[in-house]
Amino acid sequence: MTISKAVITAAGPHQQHLLLQTLIDREGRNRKVLGLLLDEITSAGIEQVALVVRPGHEALYQDAIDSAQVKLTFIEQPEPRGYGHAVLCAREFTGDSPFLLMMSDHVYVSDRAGQTCAQQLVQAASAQGQMVSAVQATHESKLAHFGAVSALVHEARERLYRVNRVTEKPSPTEAEQHLMTPGLRNGYYLCFAGMHVLTPLIMELLQERFESLGAEGKLDLSSSLNEAARRARYLALAIQGRRYDLDHRHGVLMAQMAVALDGHYRDELLAGLVELLALTPAKHGAEEIAQA
Amino acid sequence: MSRLTAIITGSDARLRNAPLEQAVAGLSLTDLLADCDALDAFWRSAENLYERVRALFFLYAIHRFHLPPLLKSEGSTDGDLDATGRIGFEGYAHLLERRFVEAIRVFLAEAQTHGRTDALCSALARGYHQLALQLLADQVRLSVRAVRGNQWMFRTGAADEHPLRMRTELLQMKDGLYPVLHERTAVRMDLSHSSWSDIFFLGMDYPEGARVLNVSINLAVLGRDEEPEPPVEAMLRVIDQPVLRLTSVDLGATVEIHNLEEVFDFARDHLGLLKAGLIAAGIVPIGLEGSGEPLTGVLERLLGPGLGLELVTHVNGIPKGSRLAVSTNLLGSLISVCMRATGQTKALTGELEEGDRRMVAARAILGEWMGGSGGGWQDSGGVWPGIKIIEGCAAGEGDPEEGVSRGRLLPKHTVQDATVISDENRRKLEDSLVLVHGGLAQNVGPILEMVTEKYLLRSGAEWEARQESLKMFEQILSALRSGDVKELGSLTTRHFQGPLQAIIPWATNAFTERLITNMQAEFSEDFWGFWMLGGMSGGGMGFIFAPERKEEASRRLLEVMLAQKKLLQNSLPFAMDPVVYHFAINEAGSFSTLKQGPAALLVPPYYTLVLPSLLRADPRTLGDLRRREIELYDQRTKSESAYQNSVRRVLDNLLPQRAGGVNSNGEELSRLLSRNGFDPKAHEFLRAELQAGRIGLARNQLPTSVRVENVRAGDVMEAERDLTAEDRRRGEAALRAGEVGVITLAAGAASRWTAGAGVVKALHPFCQFAGRHRTFLETHLAKTRKTATEHGAAPLHIITTSYLTYGPISDSLEQDDYFGLRESVALSEGRSIGLRFVPMERDLRFLWEETAQQVLDERQNRMRGSVRQALIKWAKWAGEGSDYTDNMPLQCVHPVGHWYEVPNLLLNGTLARLIEQRPQLKTLLLHNVDTLGANLDPALLGWHRRCGDTLSFEVIPRRLEDRGGGLARVNDQLRLVEGLALAHEEDEFRLSYYNTLTCWIDVDKLLQAFGLSRDDLADENRVSTAVREFSQRLPSYITLKDVKKRWGHGQEDVFPVAQFEKIWGDMSSLPEIQTGFAAVSRLRGQQMKDPAQLDGWLRDGSRDYVDSLCRWS
Repeated sequence: MTISKAVITAAGPHQQHLLLQTLIDREGRNRKVLGLLLDEITSAGIEQVALVVRPGHEALYQDAIDSAQVKLTFIEQPEPRGYGHAVLCAREFTGDSPFLLMMSDHVYVSDRAGQTCAQQLVQAASAQGQMVSAVQATHESKLAHFGAVSALVHEARERLYRVNRVTEKPSPTEAEQHLMTPGLRNGYYLCFAGMHVLTPLIMELLQERFESLGAEGKLDLSSSLNEAARRARYLALAIQGRRYDLDHRHGVLMAQMAVALDGHYRDELLAGLVELLALTPAKHGAEEIAQA
Repeated sequence: MSRLTAIITGSDARLRNAPLEQAVAGLSLTDLLADCDALDAFWRSAENLYERVRALFFLYAIHRFHLPPLLKSEGSTDGDLDATGRIGFEGYAHLLERRFVEAIRVFLAEAQTHGRTDALCSALARGYHQLALQLLADQVRLSVRAVRGNQWMFRTGAADEHPLRMRTELLQMKDGLYPVLHERTAVRMDLSHSSWSDIFFLGMDYPEGARVLNVSINLAVLGRDEEPEPPVEAMLRVIDQPVLRLTSVDLGATVEIHNLEEVFDFARDHLGLLKAGLIAAGIVPIGLEGSGEPLTGVLERLLGPGLGLELVTHVNGIPKGSRLAVSTNLLGSLISVCMRATGQTKALTGELEEGDRRMVAARAILGEWMGGSGGGWQDSGGVWPGIKIIEGCAAGEGDPEEGVSRGRLLPKHTVQDATVISDENRRKLEDSLVLVHGGLAQNVGPILEMVTEKYLLRSGAEWEARQESLKMFEQILSALRSGDVKELGSLTTRHFQGPLQAIIPWATNAFTERLITNMQAEFSEDFWGFWMLGGMSGGGMGFIFAPERKEEASRRLLEVMLAQKKLLQNSLPFAMDPVVYHFAINEAGSFSTLKQGPAALLVPPYYTLVLPSLLRADPRTLGDLRRREIELYDQRTKSESAYQNSVRRVLDNLLPQRAGGVNSNGEELSRLLSRNGFDPKAHEFLRAELQAGRIGLARNQLPTSVRVENVRAGDVMEAERDLTAEDRRRGEAALRAGEVGVITLAAGAASRWTAGAGVVKALHPFCQFAGRHRTFLETHLAKTRKTATEHGAAPLHIITTSYLTYGPISDSLEQDDYFGLRESVALSEGRSIGLRFVPMERDLRFLWEETAQQVLDERQNRMRGSVRQALIKWAKWAGEGSDYTDNMPLQCVHPVGHWYEVPNLLLNGTLARLIEQRPQLKTLLLHNVDTLGANLDPALLGWHRRCGDTLSFEVIPRRLEDRGGGLARVNDQLRLVEGLALAHEEDEFRLSYYNTLTCWIDVDKLLQAFGLSRDDLADENRVSTAVREFSQRLPSYITLKDVKKRWGHGQEDVFPVAQFEKIWGDMSSLPEIQTGFAAVSRLRGQQMKDPAQLDGWLRDGSRDYVDSLCRWS
């Protein structure tokens, strides 16, 4: 299976700000998040990228494109009908091809030398010829932010799992009953890392569900992924790397530090952090010390 | 492999279910001891939990029931004072600390030295029994923790790790208010009763035998409510303060919690159940206990900054003890509403899905464990809809119980829909069944332990009864499916009278039997049957009638229950007036609605409770939410009668209570005190002494320099060895000559028997003899009747009473025409009364911190610690050493100890009168009302006369349970010594004999000791001076007694209060009173202090022994 297309969804209410957020990249250059995402995509050998945006937002992104390798297509989501709908808007773009789906509010740092997270995923999907989602063992305290999968080990050495079920933002109670994955520590679940290689099947399923929705219903992606797990072989790859969700308190900061600590100026940043920590004692800690 | 371990491990069901008593019948002492050794080795090595537990129960039963008779006949240690009654304190201390394995090791080592004595058998029996129950309880707890969906709550150790988030629907304000999520839940009734097979231990070992027919119902109280409604409600909403606000409308309690520590402090207020619900639902995960995290951090994570949560419960007037599992279903309701709100269930509103119901049930078990209580696995049945079969399930692959127990912790629920039990047949059940609460409050805990024990021992009759019960389950189900309610009634009656009482004879009581008899007499063919709900009868019960007479029967049943309660209220612990319910089957189970905008108000009684304090507050301090809520409430009061009525009650609550109750109670208390000779000067003197610390629990003790030693050879007459034929002849002659009388001490309020409920113990119908329940008093009179018959002369029988017991005993005797003994029975009216004190903190601390206390299971221990802190606060708040008056008058006063009951005979002229009637009267046998085996034994009487002592006390060889002093040499003087007088607890464990209090009295010598003669008895002043002077030579002990305070709908709080007493046994400490001591058998000397003793008393032959002493009227 050859993957030559990618879709980035950026039609959520805050997503345009995040995508246009400036970070310092590994080389110490000022980059937009969009630029980092495009780097990630092109590293996997993909050059055709569609960006799903809100109507009229195309111009916002034009200046942020700093990659010449990419042929970027803008697709407008006419109305906010959910994440699944944003993906479905790219159906014409993806056509009969498998495609890499990425979220616009995630930044990735790979732990595998010489291979980005997107490369790992695309390589696995190409080799398996199946739909594959990138997943990451995630502590139960973060379940409220992610989709999670129930899966069995498929190829342990390749870190591949066979997905049985997908649940969006499960409660820990539900996760413990239905989403435990052998081999993970207690309290950890395989959660989506915001990156999937999907096949046209998913577009079919999204279309079916969309047609069954009422006029104002929202279309999510997880339900269709869950359905896909029933209809076809659907794998999950535990990526060797970390995803940073920018849409959290301190999300951008954490992503920045992760990227910087992975780059050329690691020592400089570390020195700065140590100094910062030394100069900023915890307030309540200081009070306790003073009282003592 | 020994024959007993073969039974335990047997794969063949017939072998595995062989009864223990059959397996050990006819074994010699040596063989049985060899079996004990094999069992002891087996339980230590067995891997299967239930095999270990069964081996432990075998060991318990052998030591409790089978070894003692063999020791008596084959291995007697009578007279060997190194062995008699000796149990090392070290082992006992291990028992108190719940180190059961260590305790058993120490006792077994002692047995190596002294042989397996009767005393050590009692200690080993306790050790094995406790260890077995501990293992079972631990397993349930482990299983509860291991349930998937519960585990994460134990892992969450910091606010940052809290994985739950409030659903957005509850965070979106509409019309200025956050929405209210309102859960309404049914309660459950168990139509099959199930023979207690819903005890977790049973279901986990015998899943195929655990089956119940559980029905979710709505209720209405006859005469109060119009239509049956779900009786249990829980409401949740977000509030604009970062606190947890908990309110129990029916308990009238509300609290704002600001820190996590308070959430885990269950006994601090009456909101423990709500706290358990919050924790079990994961809102405050149990792993956060002791984490030191701020509550605001948890709330911020869950809800967002600055927000908090309010949780409100409302039980629609269903009293405690209804046997309808109200508290478990309330917990289920709370857990459900919290789980819905935090996205832990699929549905936010409407019915729950099956998987979610199971999760709620699992969490309810967790909540009950945390609260230190425990129900059965069917109790959360109200969460499910309609009628369902709940049954045990075999543990399978992947279950946490696999390899540990045969069954799973959680049972399977199969809802019986209309295709199985038609709507018409459901209506038939509703049209015939009258549900009631009889008003009795009883502790079913001991019953459940008995059931577990009998099941694990496979005791023959009980095991057959259980099998019979299982067959009847099918018949009951079939009758319900076919709509034959008459047959259903017949089956439930047969079930109650047959298998249930074969397993637990104490399931019935005199009150229940009278109700059944009355209904049978009054409705004959139209009374279709009786049905017991829950652990035992007397509280929740069902009566089944022909439908056309149901209305009439409901009314009559209420009248009859009220009348019977009036007759029995001094005998049995009624917590409230009986009630009759209308019920309807609830076909929705737990059901939730989201109230938004103007509808987002709580139930009207909530406002009755909270509005007075809101209205008293400065309006500027009310937040926007509260203001908006009050506005909306105001609007609703104009259009809805329920809200209108709540306003009226708000006005009542606004003004401080006129305290009519308190005033009238105060007047009644004054009357009671003055009528019974209360001495205010002495009371004030005692108060001053108590407050100054000159008297108190610590001061009860003898000085530490006093030497307390065990008796020596020859100090005690061994009745079985030393009594002679001549003694018997002498005694018989005295009986024939009418020279003897009995004194039954019956002034007591059954403090331990009813845990402070304040009833007349003498009138408690504790057991069935000759076909019906008999009271302690009737049993004693039946012994007198037999003595009269055997010796041709009726002995005198004096019943001493107190302010509490005189009237009821007198009425009861009149009612029963003195059981035909009018001529020989005399009542001695109590002339002494004390007013209880609020205890001193130092005495509470001394009792709880300085004396050895039974350590409880971890959670129960925490609960107890929390309760004790609350009680110390109460004592300080109420005023240490002040008069205890905040209760019913009869609960504020106390009898002043049994010593006074004998002088009262002198003071009130009873003895003078009796001597006039029977000048030949020379000897009296005094005994406690609960010493059922005490009788006018001619040989003991003859011995007492032969010795010529003023007093002859009967003692028994000590067993572990015999606590509270004994016979000792105190500074070389042989005397009885009270436990509370011993400075070192260990001293008691060196004593061979325990005091039964049964005492033979030489009338003339006793009078002489008081400085009186028979002729002086007519001189009131002289008698009164003599008694007062004599009394000053005996110590007054300060004791703490538990008293119940009843409130609300069958709610009870227990308070420890201080009182003083003088004790008859201290007469033996006076050197001029010549005192002798006889060691008698346990059958004769044991006292019945606690209903939990009854089953063992029945099984070890004691009941039959007592029966053999009686001639029933």
